[in-house]
Amino acid sequence: MLCWRKLLLFGLVIAAPCLVQAKQLAVVTDTANPTTNLTAAELIKLFNAHTHTWADGKPVIIVVRDPASSDMELVLRKIFNMTAAQAQSFIEAHKPSIIVANSDDAVLRFVSTNRGAVGIVDLYSLTKDVNVVKINGKLPVEQGYLLRGN
Amino acid sequence: MKSFSTVLVASLLFLLSASAQKIQQGGDMPLSVKSARVSQLLNEAWVLDSDQGEQFKAIEVMRKAVKIEPEFAMGHEILAQISLEPAEQVSEQKQAFANRGYANASEQVVIEWFQNAADHKLIPAITSMNEVLHQYPHDRWLVFLATSWLMEQTQYERAAAIYENSGLTNSPGLVNNAAYTYANMRQFSKAFSLMDKFVSLLPKDPNPQDSYAEILRMAGYYAVAIDHYRVALRINPQFYSSQFGIADTYLLMGDEGRARQEYDAAFKKFSSLGELDRIRWMTHQATTYIYESDIVGADKAFQSLAEYSHSMHLCQAEAETYRQMAMYQTKTDRALELLAKAESAVREGHNVSAIHAHQEAAQILRTRVEVAIKAGDSVMVDSSVAKLAQLALNSDDKIIDSAFNGALGAHLSYEHKYTEAIAHLEEDGNNPLSLQRLATAYRMTGYISGARHTEQVLAKLNDLSVEQALVVPSFRKCLQNPTCDVGVKDAAMKVTH
Repeated sequence: MLCWRKLLLFGLVIAAPCLVQAKQLAVVTDTANPTTNLTAAELIKLFNAHTHTWADGKPVIIVVRDPASSDMELVLRKIFNMTAAQAQSFIEAHKPSIIVANSDDAVLRFVSTNRGAVGIVDLYSLTKDVNVVKINGKLPVEQGYLLRGN
Repeated sequence: MKSFSTVLVASLLFLLSASAQKIQQGGDMPLSVKSARVSQLLNEAWVLDSDQGEQFKAIEVMRKAVKIEPEFAMGHEILAQISLEPAEQVSEQKQAFANRGYANASEQVVIEWFQNAADHKLIPAITSMNEVLHQYPHDRWLVFLATSWLMEQTQYERAAAIYENSGLTNSPGLVNNAAYTYANMRQFSKAFSLMDKFVSLLPKDPNPQDSYAEILRMAGYYAVAIDHYRVALRINPQFYSSQFGIADTYLLMGDEGRARQEYDAAFKKFSSLGELDRIRWMTHQATTYIYESDIVGADKAFQSLAEYSHSMHLCQAEAETYRQMAMYQTKTDRALELLAKAESAVREGHNVSAIHAHQEAAQILRTRVEVAIKAGDSVMVDSSVAKLAQLALNSDDKIIDSAFNGALGAHLSYEHKYTEAIAHLEEDGNNPLSLQRLATAYRMTGYISGARHTEQVLAKLNDLSVEQALVVPSFRKCLQNPTCDVGVKDAAMKVTH
């Protein structure tokens, strides 16, 4: 028996196994970065290394998870529009402005301590050490947010 | 300006030093307990609740603790989280928040986390949870609260990561929690290994056998599950969860008559169950009639349950019961009448927090969309989806979100807009109704492997919900039906238990 009251209270509604799990990802920057919102097009330009500096002139440093990891599937599809192998080559070609981190915690640590850094993490990994950037005016918890899906 | 290479070297060093940082992080989170007695009660509650599955006893112990020290805010928070009484959950959360000034900084963050969650403020809730977990990743209460909350949010991967990072592999309660997490991720080999460990840690306790049984049942191993439930009852004949577990297993095995007998026997043996437990198993017993397509029998059982919930002033349970009744009705008018009763019960608002009332309202609207689709009433579909969208817009609640996406996905599927439907159905991927539509949408858009995977998952599902009763048995019957859709049958044939 699993002792957790919510599972009892809403047993009929939510205590279901993870059958198809939709992800919610957050775009994060360091807390000194004044950018609070990006359009989808701006985000794509940023992560595809077409934009090299922020509005305040700071250089952009991108930190992503290993393209081969399942955590990156949604990012590859919606932002890079590449396969994992293509993304790997792309990152190699754009070092050191794109860095690979081995976990969401590592992404968050890097972003929070490097001015101009931007990363993508799972919504449930978020900490107060970073800013969450809206995409097209929407936060990750809002309907129609870009980085949600399977 | 730092050069890129400097940044890179610095960052690599930073990432390498991450594990060293973990070691420096604290052990147990300090608690603002004033007396040794309350400290002892807290330990007792931990063992009873998380290790032994004795929720009622644990709740009683925590009630004693906060009675002795009414300003112990974290005690109120723990009670709020483990309580089985909706009114107590609400009042204890209020107490925790009201007394937060007496709590230390870390306890305050925990209280903020749950208060934000209760107020639909998901991002602040998440950041508070991670802030305190970062400070105390090895604290058993925190790991327990976090993994449990994340499971409620269906965030199983994150829950598993927190458990793995805690290093608390010898805490029976956390091992139990982790096993359920992996079982929900359909990673049964990991779940069974953890169950073996749980049994070895508490060999004379019924709860490990009970949990093992439930996870075996989730995987479809019914007969072995019943064996484990019986072992649990041999260890402790008063372990009611196992008695009801046997009944639940017969229900999923398709032996409804035997299931009802087992429920009757269990209710007779355990007459002083907590209200939510009683309602849960009365619902399962009523569901046996849906499996038999006996609408009259189901109506009688569910109506009696609704009246019981009403008499106990449990408005959410009453609303949920009427909503479930509406789902299996064949006549639209009757279904709408029941949904109106469900809405009226929510409006009464007895013993329910605002968030739970909104969640229930969303579930009712989602069911209204299903009823409207069945009736071919596109005006009602549109208006119900619009109301649900409004509800979802003003909240960032996972359950409301799923209800909205499930409803919109159903609407789009109904209009054969499969490509648009997929993104929404994926967001309601725990609901068999959405799962069935998702498989169709994948197939119609040419994503055959996705369709097959979804169909296999659906065929293997062993959930005790009304949604399962309405979707899964007919899907499984496909196996015996030569005229069944070839694609679906092909997927179902691959199912192995």
